[in-house]
Amino acid sequence: MSSLQVQPVARRITAVSWLPPHAGSAYTDTDLCFVTGSGGKHQELVLWTTANPDFEQAQNSEGPLASLVAKVKHDGDARGIAAASSDLVATTSSFGTISIYDIGHTTAQDDKISMTLRESITAHRFANGEPAVGTALAMQPVNSSDAEVASCGEDGKIAYAPVARLDALQSFEVDSTVITGICWPTPSQTAISTRAGQVKLFDRRAPAEVSAVFIDPSNSYAFECITAHPSQSFRLATGTDVGAVLLWDTRNLKQPTMEAFNVHESNVWGVEFDPTDATKIVSCSDDATLAVTQWTSDSDGQGDSRGVRRLSNFFNVLSINCVNVCPFTRTSIVVAGSDGGNLLIEKNTSDDFKLF
Amino acid sequence: MSRKKVDRFVIMREKEAATHLSPGLFPAGTQNEWTAQNRTLTFTAHPLNNGCALAVAGKEPRERISKEKRVFEQDEKVYICRMESVPDERLPFIYDSHAVFMSLQNIMKAAALDFEDTGTERFSVSINNILQMSTLYREAMLRQVRVLQEAERQTEFISMEIDVFQSMHAVWHLLEIIYLTTNTHGLNSSIVPHFMGWLNFNFPAPLAEEGQKIVDSSSTADALAANADLWPYLKKLALRGHVSILANMLERLAPSKLLSAAAARWARDIARVSRDMPLGSDEETAGSFNARWRQWNAELQNVATAIRNLISEDEGSTSNDAALESLYNIVDVMRGDVDAISIQGQIWQDIMGAVLLYNEPTAQVDRLPALVGVVVEQFQTSEFSVLDNALVALLNHDLPEFLVYCNQIESWLSAHLADIMDHISILGICRRVFAVDPREYYLLALGETYLSHENLWRVGLDYLGMTNTSAGVLVMEECVMRVPIESDRKAEQVLRMCDKYRLKRAKDRIHRQLGRQKWQRGRFGAAIRHFAYVNDQGSIGQICDQLWNEYLESGKLKYGPVIDGVVASGLRHERLQFLTRYRDFHVCYNAGDFVESGKILLSILLSEIAPPYAIPDLLVDTIPLLEGDTLVFSSEDTFELLRCAESLLRNPVLLSSADTASENIDKSELSIFNVACARNLARSFVAM
Repeated sequence: MSSLQVQPVARRITAVSWLPPHAGSAYTDTDLCFVTGSGGKHQELVLWTTANPDFEQAQNSEGPLASLVAKVKHDGDARGIAAASSDLVATTSSFGTISIYDIGHTTAQDDKISMTLRESITAHRFANGEPAVGTALAMQPVNSSDAEVASCGEDGKIAYAPVARLDALQSFEVDSTVITGICWPTPSQTAISTRAGQVKLFDRRAPAEVSAVFIDPSNSYAFECITAHPSQSFRLATGTDVGAVLLWDTRNLKQPTMEAFNVHESNVWGVEFDPTDATKIVSCSDDATLAVTQWTSDSDGQGDSRGVRRLSNFFNVLSINCVNVCPFTRTSIVVAGSDGGNLLIEKNTSDDFKLF
Repeated sequence: MSRKKVDRFVIMREKEAATHLSPGLFPAGTQNEWTAQNRTLTFTAHPLNNGCALAVAGKEPRERISKEKRVFEQDEKVYICRMESVPDERLPFIYDSHAVFMSLQNIMKAAALDFEDTGTERFSVSINNILQMSTLYREAMLRQVRVLQEAERQTEFISMEIDVFQSMHAVWHLLEIIYLTTNTHGLNSSIVPHFMGWLNFNFPAPLAEEGQKIVDSSSTADALAANADLWPYLKKLALRGHVSILANMLERLAPSKLLSAAAARWARDIARVSRDMPLGSDEETAGSFNARWRQWNAELQNVATAIRNLISEDEGSTSNDAALESLYNIVDVMRGDVDAISIQGQIWQDIMGAVLLYNEPTAQVDRLPALVGVVVEQFQTSEFSVLDNALVALLNHDLPEFLVYCNQIESWLSAHLADIMDHISILGICRRVFAVDPREYYLLALGETYLSHENLWRVGLDYLGMTNTSAGVLVMEECVMRVPIESDRKAEQVLRMCDKYRLKRAKDRIHRQLGRQKWQRGRFGAAIRHFAYVNDQGSIGQICDQLWNEYLESGKLKYGPVIDGVVASGLRHERLQFLTRYRDFHVCYNAGDFVESGKILLSILLSEIAPPYAIPDLLVDTIPLLEGDTLVFSSEDTFELLRCAESLLRNPVLLSSADTASENIDKSELSIFNVACARNLARSFVAM
């Protein structure tokens, strides 16, 4: 098992997201930024910066893995973070709210960067009026200022709200159990995973109606998270409560094909296709490990190279709650956060995969 | 109380006996006024941590007091009070040491399994691993000290924390060198180099800054000789065994014209002899080393005698050679003179180190109790700190007392020491002395402390779980059921812990609790899933009844998504099956597939999955099918329907309650049903 680099932060990190580089400076930023959300006793959002691994000197640099730039209090545990741009992030919280935070200089003359709450709205409530935990959040993949943010919660509802105008929030009850994850396979389609072990697809134009439901009839596990392939919208990946990562091919909506990779020993809290190499799925789990799963053979078809690379750190034995792979660098850089108060970073691109 | 408006109070502790809230909930001196207004305080303790909820309450029920007495707005608040038992600054250390603790338990478990399977030497296999873990614990302590020292704001609390962690390191390090480094099976090495390493690491003297300061301020030999701090510094170097630094300093000093010729000569000589101090090695036998040591000691003895003679000769003269006397003191310490060492040593650790180094350079751990007795005799032990007492107890091999003192330093220390002592099989003596198992006791205490911190519930449960005793399991079972479950993910994590430590009873209770909570919140699907885990058929039945009643009241079939979600997860329950089949009936009927819908309805009635109270409605649902243009039911089917109606009227459950029976069985509808059946029979016979 390979070792992750660890930076203790004394916060239970519950969500993480990379920020896009400033326009036109992709691949040239020497420092990359990401935002973490923490929960429990310390409910806050923190903006970090870390050296870009595309630069050689950055790889050899000593010192902390990431440096704190700014932090701000967050109402409730941050359960999902999605970046709309380099200066705007949306979060969902354990109090069922969707919030929008601005990132920028405090004043025009000031060098100091700060995060400020712009707007917040309660999106998830149970029938008896209690706030319901917002479980995940996803940003509509469109390059426009009126992009929508979709969140899901323990109340079985999906809420859609334009980032620029949260009060235009629409919410639809679509499941009787808990919705654990949400993603946008296309700008007009959302997919959710549920605790009842279902994947449901929705057309944004008819958001209350389920356009397709997928289950694995041979097993009765719960799904904990879902993600969509960055370029092939028919491919979805879900994480289960028994440690498996499932890869779905939904080209045939009536009979989707599914493949299971048993790469963890406990609940898979987060799953992502590696944006720099989508033949890999990165997942994090309650078993305190990250797994990088190579799910397809080499394009030249020579031999089966499918396998898994598991990453952990001796000093992190508690659940890894969230993971995000940076889509803006040539070198793969993964950031994750754990219950053990650690920020975990992996900049190694070596392919020491253990074949299936 | 509003979430955002949190009032802050300071909890003041006085002599550990009482805890005061400052300011109080009512102003000081207004007690009588409050009592007159029927107000008093009520509180309830937190089920898991050392906090409580406080509120103002009426002494008498409102009905019994006059209406004139006012109700105050501030009385409608509930105050949550909690004592912080785990400071945030400690969190990184707690996480790190928990990781090492869990790793150590896994190593011991694997070694035990290996021992059972292959019969290998368990002790010798695991001792190196334990030593490795012990080093990791120490590194975590040192890291914590470093982080605290680098903290931006140096408060009194931070400096106290630094002291605690340095004390913890000193204790742990000494235990490590006595029981893990030198006292291992089949290895009989001397404790002395390790003891000196421990001493100079944990109680450094003389400090490097002192030496640097002397060197910086004295660029020449003369300036060095004139420096007032020089000789105390050199004596400390000798006492702590830093002989090579001592030799360098003496050689640097010797050319000074301020020294007498004799002093300069002997400074050079002592430097030479210091460099020759024998050092033991693993290859050398004890006999050979002792011979070399005796020779070196004799040489020192000669030097000491020569210098003493010179000093005696000078006694009559007026010029007192202070340098020569200091050199004599240094040699006296190095030749192992206990009285000279006692005079030069400032703390007992200094004397213990010098006695071991110069008097008993090959001493093993079993000599420590005798030596520490002699050394400590010279001090007022009543003035010893807790750290001193703990170290002395450890050197005396008095492990029960040692553990008690360590617990006074820090509960983390006693818990982890008891654990590691158990793994190296030296806790047995404590078990005979203590009324309870010390490992279990200290681990439980530590685990419970951590449970009071929101972020550490899992760490706390691990400590409780790793006691591996029935008492530990009981405590853990009680605690795990009280862990606040704020989210579905946390519920999953708590249930995982139950699985990990095989807490079936707690797991069942948590599932029931979650099921009821979800039911209350109107999340029927999620509630059914939880009840299904504990096979609570009654509750699942009740939820299904509620769904059925909602359908009857609204006339709209809205429970489809609820049952789809839970049925998809593989759950089978008679009442759920009924609701599913009934939904299918409606789907077919609405689609105009009357034959199929009739088949479904009949199968529901014949398979007896429907609850008795739903049967009248099902029979009523058959009427449009019986009266429709299409022949849906055959003669056999119709007879079955009639049989169902007949058995319904004889159903003891429905008949036992006259009201229910009359409510459910509408006589006129039954008559219509009978007529419809008769007509359908006739049609079916014709169709045959």
